[in-house]
Amino acid sequence: MEEYLNTPIKEIITKFPKVGEILEEYNIGCVPCKVGSCLLKDIMEIHNLPENEERELLRRIAQVIYPGKKIEIPRIERKNRRKAGDLTYSPPMKKLVDEHVLIKKLVAAIPKIIKNLDPESEKGREVIRKSVDFIRFYADKYHHAKEEEILFKYFDENLDILKVIHEDHESARAHVRAILEGLDKKDKGKIAEHLMAYHELLTEHIKKEDEILYPWMDRNLSTAQVGELFSKFNEADGATDKEVIGNCKKFVEELEKKYKIKKEAVK
Amino acid sequence: MMKHGMEGCPGSRMQDFSKKSADAKEETGKRGSQLGQWPIQLHLVSPMAPYYQKSDVLLSADCVAYSVGDFHKDYLKGKSIAIACPKLDEGQDIYVEKIKSLIDDAQINTLTVMTMQVPCCAGLVAVAQKGLQSAKRKIPIKSIVVSLQGDIISEEWVQ
Repeated sequence: MEEYLNTPIKEIITKFPKVGEILEEYNIGCVPCKVGSCLLKDIMEIHNLPENEERELLRRIAQVIYPGKKIEIPRIERKNRRKAGDLTYSPPMKKLVDEHVLIKKLVAAIPKIIKNLDPESEKGREVIRKSVDFIRFYADKYHHAKEEEILFKYFDENLDILKVIHEDHESARAHVRAILEGLDKKDKGKIAEHLMAYHELLTEHIKKEDEILYPWMDRNLSTAQVGELFSKFNEADGATDKEVIGNCKKFVEELEKKYKIKKEAVK
Repeated sequence: MMKHGMEGCPGSRMQDFSKKSADAKEETGKRGSQLGQWPIQLHLVSPMAPYYQKSDVLLSADCVAYSVGDFHKDYLKGKSIAIACPKLDEGQDIYVEKIKSLIDDAQINTLTVMTMQVPCCAGLVAVAQKGLQSAKRKIPIKSIVVSLQGDIISEEWVQ
């Protein structure tokens, strides 16, 4: 089992597709991951399941890899193991999770925006332009910049988990560029395609950060680093144009009202 | 087996852990102190002292250091400290003012409050939160609750 704990997950899933299905049952979404270079032991560390769940997961994986053999499941030592149902954040991480709420509201409205897409009329183009402005300013400049320019600097940027997050950010930016190209050409199909791709990407991305990345980072940050991050995030917020933030919030509220977005859609 | 004495306030209820202590392995060698300042009692300290400026501060209930075996190594190291007893100390309004001054004037980075599991000890977290609420700056506050036998019961960010 030690050998497979030190093997990249893509290799394991390619050789034993059933392992991917088992991971999915534990909400560990390695199957669709484009990178897949995390070692199995690192995945256990990053997802930090309660000890009994982790042992059961490893036992099931061992059964797939070594059918019919009795395999000893190694105990993976961890400093701060999560208890079942326990998901709390340090103040700087909580700030990022709270910022996600507004982004999730915009993301939840996207299917309705697509349904009512009208790039031919000025009113229809305005909704798309304002959505892109929100994404570029609030989601990217205000929120993602906090992650990329401050938070990620506290970690080795070559870590697989950070590569995955960076790739998500770049994909999101590419979709936004494509939406604007579609808008220029009044290409309804292209706008709809990339809006939906952004919707799907961000839904998964935010879940990944809220449930996996931030809790893992919290477990690895010292108390002093948490204080520094909190202070740097406050400085970044202080340097941000409050009026633009206010406009972003107002725009999302208008969308929610216009399209009657239910609260459950942003949970 | 613990022997329980009189019932009543959990903070003063008699309990005997001596058997556990007798079973503990004999340790050799010496461990250096991690204390980097004097004074430490919250009434006596000055928030203007150089060792508080921009530091990570540990606000510890008096009993904690006697309970947690590795207090110096695991919790005091790298931090400035102030100690207090939320049950017995008088003038706790002054404590709130001191915390406020540590946050605003000394511009401390974080505040970690270590308390015992007994209910009255939670008052120290409340003092810290009041100090934060009255301060202009905001900082993260962490609460660590320790069992009577020195185990960590919980460790969470409360602000």
